[in-house]
Amino acid sequence: MTSLTRALVAEARARRGAADPMPPRIALPPVVAPPARVYVARRPPLTPGAASAHTTALLGVGHVGTRYATDVVLQFQAELAVAHEAVAAELTDGWAKDHGFLPLQTRVADHREYLLRPDLGRRLAPDALARLQAEAPKGVDVQVILADGLSALACMQAGPALYEATVAALRARGLTVGAPLCAKFARVWLEDEIGAEVGAKVAIILLGERPGLGTGDGLSAYLVHGPALGKTDGDRNMMSNLHARGTPAEEAAPRLAALAHAMIQQGTSGVGLDLAKVDAVIERGYRAPQVRQRLVERGGAR
Amino acid sequence: MSLLEPIVPTLLSVRRIPNADPALLAAYGADPTRHTSLGLVTCDQDDALYVALDEATKHAAVDVVFAKSFYAGSAHASGKLSGEILGVLAAAEPQSIEDGLAALTACLAHDACFYDADGARGVTVFPHVIGSLGHYLAKESGLAVGECLAYLVAPPLEATLGFDAALKAADVRAVKIIAPPTETNFACAWLTGQRPGDLAACRAAAAAFIDAVVDVALRPHAR
Repeated sequence: MTSLTRALVAEARARRGAADPMPPRIALPPVVAPPARVYVARRPPLTPGAASAHTTALLGVGHVGTRYATDVVLQFQAELAVAHEAVAAELTDGWAKDHGFLPLQTRVADHREYLLRPDLGRRLAPDALARLQAEAPKGVDVQVILADGLSALACMQAGPALYEATVAALRARGLTVGAPLCAKFARVWLEDEIGAEVGAKVAIILLGERPGLGTGDGLSAYLVHGPALGKTDGDRNMMSNLHARGTPAEEAAPRLAALAHAMIQQGTSGVGLDLAKVDAVIERGYRAPQVRQRLVERGGAR
Repeated sequence: MSLLEPIVPTLLSVRRIPNADPALLAAYGADPTRHTSLGLVTCDQDDALYVALDEATKHAAVDVVFAKSFYAGSAHASGKLSGEILGVLAAAEPQSIEDGLAALTACLAHDACFYDADGARGVTVFPHVIGSLGHYLAKESGLAVGECLAYLVAPPLEATLGFDAALKAADVRAVKIIAPPTETNFACAWLTGQRPGDLAACRAAAAAFIDAVVDVALRPHAR
């Protein structure tokens, strides 16, 4: 190492006319060079539970002896109940028609069969197919389909708003949109058959997503270019967690329209789609972490 | 012996405690929640070791948790290994202690030391200039990490004239002046530039300090 002080003292010696040189440096093994940045004191360690402020995951819930605290167990059970209720819900009769959608049903007969036979949920029932062929305009740019999926509750609560916003965003880009369709007992791949029947360039299906703990109200959107039976998930693009605590409809709709527009421009979708060329319609900045909805109040006397 | 010859400090003992007892850590000012290992050194020059301990904090993730001078200096030590100071580095793991001790050793051998102010070791002077403070002396002095400091030490009367000369010779301000007697019966001053980071001012102050101390050492009764 170089010594500022030693240089100063050598100068002082020279001023006094000292003839003898400074003694030589002592030989030493090399020392690790100091880092570009001086080490600063470490931050205090995270306290247990601090991470839970940044996620809705069950982190830092603590324990009482060898078990969870009662409010944690009750919250878990309540959230699981929300998910069960969402899966068990069905689209009510006449809901689609009341909300201005053309009702369609798949080959599934009842809710139990819907859960057990995904393949039947991907094809239209014969009478629904006939109604689609008779009533839906053909040769459109984009066919948007609302469906129940695994959460009819989400479909009925948030579906119409997301549908309207998406259609408005598509029309704003000068794209033609097909008839409003609402499918019951539908799986994602149903969009292939419907899209092919109406000859749409892009099919979008908005459907209730598999409920998680406390989220029974989430919708997903799946988009496919050139819909046809036999398209795989590699041909699709999707957005999930379309709900108030995830991506709200007013943010999701312009992104879905941008995706559909890019698919038409690039003539492909899924793995082949160049996402770098999709219009950046929404700034992807920092978004505050989700807040866990408390379904159970903690007890009073503490 | 010749005038202004470096008096290289001796590390009288260097020992490590890889996994120290929490009670011991707490007693020596370390934080048991983030410190595990200790490095302990004794040295026959207290001010040189203060500078070297600070140097260690620049090279490794170590904290200086304990550094105290012993009364009356190394000439009156409690044992042949006591010297005049015990310094303790603390870190989260032993390797940081090793890195810190290596930097400390190099600093003592090549940089921080007292100088012979009268050519007979009758008067010694510590006119040290630190270009960039580590976080130990930054905390002790209240300056920011990376600031420069003139660390000036000499016996009582020599130091007093030296401080006056240093403060008048350059655009510096006194961060702290410890009037005699300190534990080791010296006097000490920390000066820094009036403008932050003014290393040239610190150097000029230290140069004036050297000249003043040597002048007193050679002409103690000059009018």
